[in-house]
Amino acid sequence: MSGDSGFLFTFFNLAVAKQYWPAIGMGMLVTVGVGLAVVATGTALGLALAVLRSFGLRLLALPIVVFADVMRSLPPLVVMIVLYFGLPALGLPMSAFAVTWVALSLVLAAYAEESIWAGILAVPPGQLEAARSTGMGWWQGMRCVVLPQALRRAVPPLTNRIIATTKNTALGSVVALNEILNNAQGATSHAGNPTPLVMASVAYLIVFMPLVFASRGVERRWGRA
Amino acid sequence: MPILDIAGLHKSYGSTEVLRGVDLQVNTGELVCVIGPSGSGKSTMLRCCNLLETPTRGRITANGHEVTSSAVNINHVRQDIGMVFQQFNLYPHLSALDNVSLALRKVQRKPRDEADQLAQAALEQVGLGAKAGNRPAELSGGQQQRVGIARAVALKPHIILFDEPTSALDPELVEDVLNVMRDLRQRGMTMLVVTHEMAFAHAAADRVVFMDGGVVVEQGTAAEVFETPREPRTRSFLARYGSARS
Repeated sequence: MSGDSGFLFTFFNLAVAKQYWPAIGMGMLVTVGVGLAVVATGTALGLALAVLRSFGLRLLALPIVVFADVMRSLPPLVVMIVLYFGLPALGLPMSAFAVTWVALSLVLAAYAEESIWAGILAVPPGQLEAARSTGMGWWQGMRCVVLPQALRRAVPPLTNRIIATTKNTALGSVVALNEILNNAQGATSHAGNPTPLVMASVAYLIVFMPLVFASRGVERRWGRA
Repeated sequence: MPILDIAGLHKSYGSTEVLRGVDLQVNTGELVCVIGPSGSGKSTMLRCCNLLETPTRGRITANGHEVTSSAVNINHVRQDIGMVFQQFNLYPHLSALDNVSLALRKVQRKPRDEADQLAQAALEQVGLGAKAGNRPAELSGGQQQRVGIARAVALKPHIILFDEPTSALDPELVEDVLNVMRDLRQRGMTMLVVTHEMAFAHAAADRVVFMDGGVVVEQGTAAEVFETPREPRTRSFLARYGSARS
């Protein structure tokens, strides 16, 4: 057996690939599902926190700042392990999917809050004053005047953070979430051949490359205005 | 009855007293110009009239509503009190038309096409009907400020407050904005204008108010204040400022 065919047999083994592609495919569905869930709840929570923080009450702002700083300091894996092994002790067991979703949502929310808050700060105070002077309420002024400008500034840093956080769904393998990496690892040990890991890499590229391309488009469009 | 009545207005920031008891009335259809040195409290007084600043003490009544009452619906009262800002404060993400129509739609709850028609009419009144689709960044400073005036006018307020409307403009653009204000005066709009444009105040104002040190030092017709000022502080201000600028 030549070295070349040994390499192919080890990493691009068609027989192994054929047997395990359904598992990798299912993993892709789970990765996409948990990723979408994280993006939706994480950015929504981050936006809500940034808006609450801009309300101007210390009592509201302080816990938000603490939350954002703690969540940005902790490795996401630690958050997941704490939730996965800590919550059952409190009588609140969560599924691997729920733990991955909640943990990464909290992490993304912390970064999203910081990005959007920075965007809000960059909008001159005269903007809200002008809106209020025409009779708009605080929330109306925020929604129609301040946030559209703040989000435009927040989107470029936010898209990078969304990609980084959704890629961390791979950490779900640690709590036995059957996403791409976990399924690939299982298949690898089952088959005694690392081809499923190569398949996992391809699967990640299929899932995340479009996101990277999309983010470039978004940055180009929103970065200008 | 005056349309705007300011009585005993005080405003402090910490221990710094910016306004020390301002009394001022503006009658319907009047153009009142407020002049005075920087830091005299002119802008603060103006910003108290629609509660962009909260007065420390005193009473302000606008169009029969007590602005300073704790029971007032300020969003309601502000629709009656237009404001034009030194830095224009146009919404950069919206077209000129949307800048003007936003409050018509969101505050007065007018349907889109009616709001757009009113906004277009307001833009035409300030000579910018052709710029309705342009973003603020595509307009000159003078044009931006005219959009700012249209935004205030469109809500059909009873009075418009002008906070140094031409101070941020290049000199050659000032006259366009002043002409729009003269035109508003012709149409009977009540205006309270904080300004450094002495020639404009002299020629166009029904009444001129001189403020210094957080109080109204002197007021009267433009001719009285500019030509025969009674107070020494007014005289020295006009000697320094008036002759230099106009």
